[in-house]
Amino acid sequence: MVAIIETEKLTKSYGSHRGIVDVDLVVEQGEVFGFLGPNGAGKTTTIRVLLDLIRPTSGKASVFGIETTVDPVSIHRRIGYLPGEFTLYDRLTGGETLEYFGNLRGGVDTAYQASLIERFDLDPSRKFKEYSKGNKQKVGLVAALQHKPELLVLDEPTAGLDPLVQQTFFAVLREAVDEGRTVFLSSHVLSEAEKACDRVGIIRDGRLVKVDRVDALRDLAAHQVELRFTGPVPAAEFEALPGVSNVTAEDHVLRMHVTGPISPVVKAAARFDLADFVSREPSLEETFLAEYGHDAVEVANHGN
Amino acid sequence: MAIELGRSPIAAPRRHVSAWSRVYGLGSVYAKTLRDSRLAFLIMAGLLGGIMLVAGAAIGTAYATATSRADLVNLATTAAGSMPGVTGKAVNVGTLGGYVTWKYGPLFVIAAALWSILALSGTLATEASKGSLEFVAVAPFGKRRLALEKLAAHLTVLTAVLAILALASWVAGAVFGSVPGDAVPPQAAIGYALWVGLIALASGSVAFALSPSLGRAGAAGIAGFILFAGYLLNNLQVTEPALTGPAYLSWFYWTAGHLPLAGEYDWVSLVPVAVVAVVLFVVGLEAFVRRDIGASSSIRTPRLPRAILGLHGPIGRAFGERFSISLAWGIGLGFFGFGIAAISRSLADSFHTMSPASVKIFHDIFPLFDISTAGGFLQVVFVQLGFIVVGFAAATLVSGWASDETSGRLEMLLATPLARASWAVSGGLGVYLAIVLMTIVFAAGVGIGALMAGSDAVTPMAGSVTLGLYAAAVAGVGIAIGGLFRTSIAAEMAAVAVTVTFLIDMIAPPLRLPDWVHQLALTAHFGQPMVGIWDASGVVACLVIAFGGLALGGWGMRRRDVAR
Repeated sequence: MVAIIETEKLTKSYGSHRGIVDVDLVVEQGEVFGFLGPNGAGKTTTIRVLLDLIRPTSGKASVFGIETTVDPVSIHRRIGYLPGEFTLYDRLTGGETLEYFGNLRGGVDTAYQASLIERFDLDPSRKFKEYSKGNKQKVGLVAALQHKPELLVLDEPTAGLDPLVQQTFFAVLREAVDEGRTVFLSSHVLSEAEKACDRVGIIRDGRLVKVDRVDALRDLAAHQVELRFTGPVPAAEFEALPGVSNVTAEDHVLRMHVTGPISPVVKAAARFDLADFVSREPSLEETFLAEYGHDAVEVANHGN
Repeated sequence: MAIELGRSPIAAPRRHVSAWSRVYGLGSVYAKTLRDSRLAFLIMAGLLGGIMLVAGAAIGTAYATATSRADLVNLATTAAGSMPGVTGKAVNVGTLGGYVTWKYGPLFVIAAALWSILALSGTLATEASKGSLEFVAVAPFGKRRLALEKLAAHLTVLTAVLAILALASWVAGAVFGSVPGDAVPPQAAIGYALWVGLIALASGSVAFALSPSLGRAGAAGIAGFILFAGYLLNNLQVTEPALTGPAYLSWFYWTAGHLPLAGEYDWVSLVPVAVVAVVLFVVGLEAFVRRDIGASSSIRTPRLPRAILGLHGPIGRAFGERFSISLAWGIGLGFFGFGIAAISRSLADSFHTMSPASVKIFHDIFPLFDISTAGGFLQVVFVQLGFIVVGFAAATLVSGWASDETSGRLEMLLATPLARASWAVSGGLGVYLAIVLMTIVFAAGVGIGALMAGSDAVTPMAGSVTLGLYAAAVAGVGIAIGGLFRTSIAAEMAAVAVTVTFLIDMIAPPLRLPDWVHQLALTAHFGQPMVGIWDASGVVACLVIAFGGLALGGWGMRRRDVAR
C-alpha cells in the first residue's frame, strides 16, 4: 500500500508546553484513519503540523511523500481540510464562501458542489454570520469536500451536526473512500470512529500510544460470556481455561470474561447440558477504557 | 423512583470572594470590566497626559520670553481672526494654558470622546455578538445590574484618565511655565478635565443608548457622526450664520465659553451636557433590559456587487473585505477636506479687508505659498491632522487584514494551494487597494471643495496622494510586524507608529531637538504637497516602507507558525 501520511519522531513543543512527542504514524491510501484522544492530547497539533500551519520542533512529516515543510502548497493542492474550530467571511453568503474556496483551487465541479449542498441540506443564500453552529459546520464540510481531494483531513467533523446530517456525512465519507480517497479523521467520539474508521491511532499526553485496526483493538478487551446450564454450574471446569477470568456463578448461570480466542470456552461448554450461550462483543469504547483507563478519554456518545 | 418533595438539591459550596477582587479582578462584572480596561487606561492616560506634558514643554521652551509670547499672540489672534471657523477662539493664547487650549484643545476632547464611544458601544454589544454575554446574563443578578456595573467600570477608568490629564495640566504649567500666567491652577486643571470628560461621556452615552438596538458598529457610527458634526458645526457657525441653528444642538456650542486653561470658566454650561449623558445612559440601560440579548437590528447596508466581493482571488477578496470601511474613511475625510477647501474662500475674502500688516504676517510665516488658496489653506489647516486620521485609517485596514489569522480563517485559506507568503502579500495588496480607494474619494472631496472656493483643484487633489502614500507606509509597518511576529499586534503597532510620528513632528522643532530626530518623522518629508511643493524623499520613503513591509511580512509568514 502507498503511504499517504508518514511521520517520523514528530515532535512539537510550545516553549515549556508539551505539544506532541515522537509521533510515528503511517496512514495508507484508501483508508479511514481515526485519530483518537482526549481533549488536549495533541490531535490538532499533529494535524496542524501535517498541514505546515506549524513547524515541527524535531522529526518530520510527509504527506503524499512530500515533506510538509518543503512544499506545503503541493500538499494543499491535493487535500481537503476542516479545522476543529473555524470562522469564515461574515458578510459573504454560504454560496459565495464556497465559490471563493473553489476559485482558490482553480475551480470545482459545480454539479458536485450543488449535490453536496443539497445532501447536507444547506441554504447557500444566507450570510455566514447568520448560520447556526451546525450550518457553519456544513459550509466547512462542503468547502473541504467540493474539490474531491485525494486526502481529507477532518478535525472533529461531526461537531454541531444533527444525527441525520451525521448520517449523510458518513455516507459521503464512505463514497469518498470507495473512490480511493484517504481520510484522516480526528475525534474524541469513539462510537463515531468505530462506525467510520478502518484503523485508529490513540494519542495521549502528546504520545501515540496505540495504532491498530478497529476490530483488532476490540479484540484486546474481554468478551463478556454468559452460559446458562440446565443443571449445576461446573465453574471449576472453566476457571482453568486459557484467557478466562472473573468467573462468577449464580444459580444455573455462569458469567466470565474471555480474552483472546473463545473456542476453548465453547468446547468446554459443549460437554455440559447448555440451555443458552451469550457472548457480547465489546465496543471500541469499552476496549479503550479497559486498556487505557477511564481518565484517558472523555467519551461523548452523542446519543449512540 | 420516589421523589422527596420540598427539598432543594445540594448546592455547590460557595467560595469566599474577597472585597478586593470584587473591585478589581474576577470577583464581579465591575471588577472584570475594570481589569479588561487596563490597556485602554494606559493608552489613554499616556496619550492625553503625555501630549499635555509635551505640548506644555514645547510652548514653555520655544516661547520662553515675553517677546516671543507677543509674537505668538500676534500670530494666533491674526490666524483666529482670519480663520474663525477653523481655529476657534484665541483666548489668552499668550499663556501656556491658553495656547494649549487654542492649538490642541480639540485633540484631547475628540480622543477621549472616541474612546468613550468605542468602549460604551462595545461593552455590551461585543459580548453579545461573541456569546459570552449569555453566560453572564444567566448569573444570579439582573440585566440592569450587569449593565450598570459595566457602565460604572467605564466611568471609573475615565475618571482615572481625567485625573491624569488634570495632573499633567497642572504639572505642565508648574514645570514648563516660563512667563507670568503660565501656571495652571488646580481649579483650571480640574475644570478642563471635567469638560473633556463630560463631552466624552455625552458622546459615549449616545453609543450606549443605541447599541442594544443597532449593535456596536451602527451605534458607534452614529455617535461618531454626532461628535464630529457637533464639533464642525460649532466651528463653522462662526462664519456661516446658516449653521447657527443646527449648532445649538452641539455640546461644543453649549460649552464654548468654558475654557479653564485659558482662564475662562462657565461651569453652568456643563450641566446640560451632564444631563444629556445621564438621560441617554438611562435610555441605554432600559433598552438593554427590555430587548432580547444579542437581538440588534443592524442598519441595513446595500449588498456589494459581486465584482467587488472579490471571489476570484485573494487580492480581490482582501480588497472586497476592506471596501466598505475604506469607502467610509474616504467619505469622512472627503467631507472634511471638502469643508476646509471650500472655507478657504472666506480667508481669501478676509485678505481683502485685512490690514497690510496682518497680510504681511501671513506672507512671512508662509513665504512659499499663498494661504488663501484652497491648497494653501489645506496645507496649513488640514494636512497635519489628515496624516493622523489616514494613519489610523490604515491601522484599521491592517486590523482587517490581520483578522484572517486572529479569527482562525487563515487555517482554511492556507489549506488551499495558497502559500503563506502569498496570503500575506496578496492581503497586503488588498489593503493598499483599499487605501487607493480611500485616497481617491478624499481627493474628490478636496477637489470639489476647491472648485467651490474658485481655486485650483488639481494641485490639492494631487497633493492628497501624499496622505495615501503615508497611509500605505503605515500599513506597511503593520503588515511587516504582523508577518514577522504576530498579526494580533499589527494594527496596534501601526497606530503606535502614527502616534510616535505625530509626537516627533510636533515636539522636535519647538524643543530644538537635533535635526536627525525630526527627520525620523516620515511626515517631515513631504514638503507642502497641497500647494504643489513635493519632496521626493518622502514619496520614495513611503513606497519603500510600504513595499518593503509587504516583502518582510511575506518573508516573516513563511518562517513562523500560524497562530490560532
